[in-house]
Amino acid sequence: MNSARLFLILSIAAVLAWGCAHADEEDSIAPLAPASGRVDPGLGPGAQALSSGPGYKGSPSWSPEGGRIAFTKDGYVVDKPTGSGNLRRWTTRDFFAEDTEWESDDALMILGAVPPSGAEEISNSLYRARLGEDSLELESVENDVSAVGAGRGRLIFAFGSKTRESWLTMTRGGGKIDRRYSKPIAGRVASLSLAPEGAQAVLAVRPPKDREVSELRVFDLRKGEGRKIARLDGAREILGTPQWTEQGIYFVAGKQSTTLDSDGSEPLYNIFRVPEEGGSPELAPGVGEDFVAASIRVSPDGRRLAIIGRLNPKSPTNLYVLDPLANVLTAATTNEDMEIKTGLDDLAWSPGGESVAVIARGTPSTEPEVRADPADRLLRDFYNLYEIPVGGPEEAPR
Amino acid sequence: MRDVVFWLSGAAVAFLVTAGAFLLLANLATAPSEKSLNPDRAPVGSGHAIDLQLDRERLASLEPLPDQSLDLVVENEGEEPLSDVNVTLSVSSENTALSDSRYYRQTVEKIPAGGSENVRFEFDLVVPEQPVTRPSAAAPEPSREILELRATTQEGNSTVRTVILPP
Repeated sequence: MNSARLFLILSIAAVLAWGCAHADEEDSIAPLAPASGRVDPGLGPGAQALSSGPGYKGSPSWSPEGGRIAFTKDGYVVDKPTGSGNLRRWTTRDFFAEDTEWESDDALMILGAVPPSGAEEISNSLYRARLGEDSLELESVENDVSAVGAGRGRLIFAFGSKTRESWLTMTRGGGKIDRRYSKPIAGRVASLSLAPEGAQAVLAVRPPKDREVSELRVFDLRKGEGRKIARLDGAREILGTPQWTEQGIYFVAGKQSTTLDSDGSEPLYNIFRVPEEGGSPELAPGVGEDFVAASIRVSPDGRRLAIIGRLNPKSPTNLYVLDPLANVLTAATTNEDMEIKTGLDDLAWSPGGESVAVIARGTPSTEPEVRADPADRLLRDFYNLYEIPVGGPEEAPR
Repeated sequence: MRDVVFWLSGAAVAFLVTAGAFLLLANLATAPSEKSLNPDRAPVGSGHAIDLQLDRERLASLEPLPDQSLDLVVENEGEEPLSDVNVTLSVSSENTALSDSRYYRQTVEKIPAGGSENVRFEFDLVVPEQPVTRPSAAAPEPSREILELRATTQEGNSTVRTVILPP
């Protein structure tokens, strides 16, 4: 009896001692130091730098598992972990990539071209790059590709050597062609994206012989049939890629212009919404009539829209998130003297819909700037990627 | 009565052994990896024993031409004299697709404690020709030149200054 009691007491003491013995180790875990520059105050609280150093960056794309982010850098393609870690290069420096999308966690689809030595214009091709191959060789998938859209493990692209007709093709895994759609689309597909459920796509199309018209078309990927849902006349153009939400199709459009307007101001673009059944586009509710839009991206679940733009022509550029059901626009960044890049592909949702990647830099100085860090650790002096928390999908009211 | 006490003691011991096993597994699974927790640690040997002073006016007068010169002051802020301090200058473009970085190196033989030495670099600041670019992939503005100056002591202490020159 005494020995049983003694054993019981010793057991309790041993368990307690074991449980307490590791408390010191937990205390010794140092938090990641913000002094390293991972948190940038120029975009508001919570913004995390995803890259650093020089290089003109663009077209961010999160890997399917969300652990890495790929982007273009001075035309070539790199990726890196969303935490700390080194860059991996996917293409050579003489390759010019416009867009890159993950096909899987170890393969990228890249839209771009190797420019010739002359000045002639060449069209883009679609390539596939795989991780772990010894060289930076690309596998050609298709030539004369004008637009690419990805989602739910598949990628759809439009191609056509002339502006008269385009064709759509879908790949699914391994870069293999899953389906070629036989019915051509009249005109040139300028951009396209997949609906969140993945069975349909929305296309911005330039009809043949009419440069002052933009059309919006939807395409059923199961039936292989498309239809026009909206037409923009009067020299208005669709800017960037239309986005399919649960509340209809949103797109940015405005007057065609490659230069400043006659009064010296920048051309202004608005966000429009059109039902997927078709109809007249209306200004997107909840955004405001004065809103100047640059680029939009729908969240992976189709319930929110990330927007880079300005509340009015005189306000700073910020990232906003629109809830299309409630028509509520929420600012996700607080821009403090930063230049947020407004390129058409310069924002991307994380796979889980908790964050949006944007690209920004501080306003460049006209005087030499001296910094106390190596160039490859500098943030604000160059365009760099930032992860902006936007709340989880559950925060969107239903 | 003894049987009841025996079974109660046995059950308690079995519970504690099981709990201890789970505790052991939990501790094993969450053992911190020191390597992964220190991604942004400063380079080994960084310190404030030396400093670099640059003349901003001279920086502003640099031109994108060959035969440029830059004077800088290497200061020993420590209490011991320094010898064989390596000072390097790398000149590169903001455009990382251009792989034409140039490197220059000088050695300062001795810097007394609390003293300083002047170093002059003569270098080319020729803006490299931009490769054939396509508007959609290239930056819409000219690239800036970057000067990275680093002084390193024999003990491994180093200090860095990065200069970004406007186009």
